[in-house]
Amino acid sequence: MSRIEEVLRYIRRSRRLKISLLLAPPIIFLAIWFYAPFLILGLYSFNMINIYREIVFTPSLEHYTRVLSWTGAINIYLRSLYFAGLTVILCLLIGYPAAYYISFKMKKYKDVFIILFIIPFWVSFLLRTYAMMNLLDERGLLNTMLMSLGAINTPLKIMYTDVAVILVMVYDYLVMMVLPLYANLEKLDRTLLEAASTLGAGPIRTFIKVTLPLSMPGIMAGFLLVFIPAVGEFVVPELVGGPNNYMVGNIIYEIFMGARHWWIGSAFSMLFIAFILSLVIVYIRKIGERGLAL
Amino acid sequence: MSIFLKVFVIMVFIFLYSPIAVMVLFSFNESKSLGVFTNFSLKWYEKILANPHVWSGLYNSLWVAAVVTVVSIILGLMMALVVTRYNFSGRSILESIILIPIIIPEIAEALSLMVMYIFLNIPMGPMTVIIGHIAFDISYVTVVMRARMIGYDKSVEEAARTLGANEFQTFIRITLPMLYPAILASGLLAFTLSFDDLIKTLFTTGPGFRTLPLIIWSSAARGGVSPELNSLSSFALSISFLFAIFRLRAEKGAGR
Repeated sequence: MSRIEEVLRYIRRSRRLKISLLLAPPIIFLAIWFYAPFLILGLYSFNMINIYREIVFTPSLEHYTRVLSWTGAINIYLRSLYFAGLTVILCLLIGYPAAYYISFKMKKYKDVFIILFIIPFWVSFLLRTYAMMNLLDERGLLNTMLMSLGAINTPLKIMYTDVAVILVMVYDYLVMMVLPLYANLEKLDRTLLEAASTLGAGPIRTFIKVTLPLSMPGIMAGFLLVFIPAVGEFVVPELVGGPNNYMVGNIIYEIFMGARHWWIGSAFSMLFIAFILSLVIVYIRKIGERGLAL
Repeated sequence: MSIFLKVFVIMVFIFLYSPIAVMVLFSFNESKSLGVFTNFSLKWYEKILANPHVWSGLYNSLWVAAVVTVVSIILGLMMALVVTRYNFSGRSILESIILIPIIIPEIAEALSLMVMYIFLNIPMGPMTVIIGHIAFDISYVTVVMRARMIGYDKSVEEAARTLGANEFQTFIRITLPMLYPAILASGLLAFTLSFDDLIKTLFTTGPGFRTLPLIIWSSAARGGVSPELNSLSSFALSISFLFAIFRLRAEKGAGR
């Protein structure tokens, strides 16, 4: 009994021991179930695991060179960047005026409208995607309405095209752009705008010279919060895109589950993760960690 | 100028709400049509609620999320306590360790975990799903808790210590009750993340173990849109809304 008390007293006194004891369970959990899988992926990608699932020392870069010399893969990579980039731009074009209007033009009920903006995003990502499938379907409400209004004669084929993938991604990620923008615009010092107009700048000039530059941190945070999940998107192209609209996530999935080539799949994943992490590191270096706080 | 902006914002709201509204509306449609509403009917709901797979999926989702929430809260609380209370070398490394699971796309995370399960011959089933969910929920819990702990008043703890409470008593009777809003908010987030998760579950589940999102995913991927799936999705949506309302109330409580 007294021995236990002695140990407890020792723990109480040592700060370092306290920190280690608190950190050990979560860190060990993450090390085993989050970081170790990437270590195994790394071993696969450098050809250090053979087909019998044994770790062998035969390091080589052949899988990386195969991925990098495979034009089909490069094209899918570029397509993902293009889809994600377009999604970000559209989210910005739709989200900025909305955030601006709620923050600057509304006097009462600001909070109500921001909540109204967030409510559709309480619904899970999968359900939102499915709800859009419903609307865009060839037999869906959009086509039925347009045809009965006489706007079109044959139903629009939106599903299983690039347009569907981008439209659904914009729908799914819009809130990730609007929230950081709104938070940024709310913090913007209104006296600066008054000063600009006192000094003779019109509303458009004030917007371009004052509001827009000051809201850059919000735009950058929104960019990152939309771009990162969008570039790694898997569900949306799988559900509303065809085989011609595949993105990185889908091709990695195909290599692992369809072709069962874990070595190439690992190399592809490692390159993709390196790309995402370098993007975030550049962002943190340039803007700081604050923008990432969720 | 202002009127254009107003019309634009109204259109954005229509864009946000119409897909969900249409889905819910057509789940009550009597005919199989997705474009014309004929008559109000509950027959699709009767059909899905009579399906035992739906109930077992819901049950699986709920108990997995409950276990994930409890474990994530405990592990996340340990991490958040260290991050907010102590200054030590290697802090920035710890911050990166916490942030990386939030940054890396889920598909890469899920596939790598699946690769490890197969590499180590771990049979996949409910346990592997739970582990996968916890592995990325810890980070979210830590981030939310840390944000909530910033205004924490340490002097109350010191007062308890001065009045003769030992460290354990102080933690149970002072620290935990004061952290209750932070724990509630991050716990509800962890629950929602796990309850809604598709990708991690898809790759780490074993034969026969399906959650609600998995059922919706496989029927959407196989058969596309159908009135039956509309009613199942609306059913799932009402559960999500229930949790969201809880979360909003918890956040209000924490704000006070």
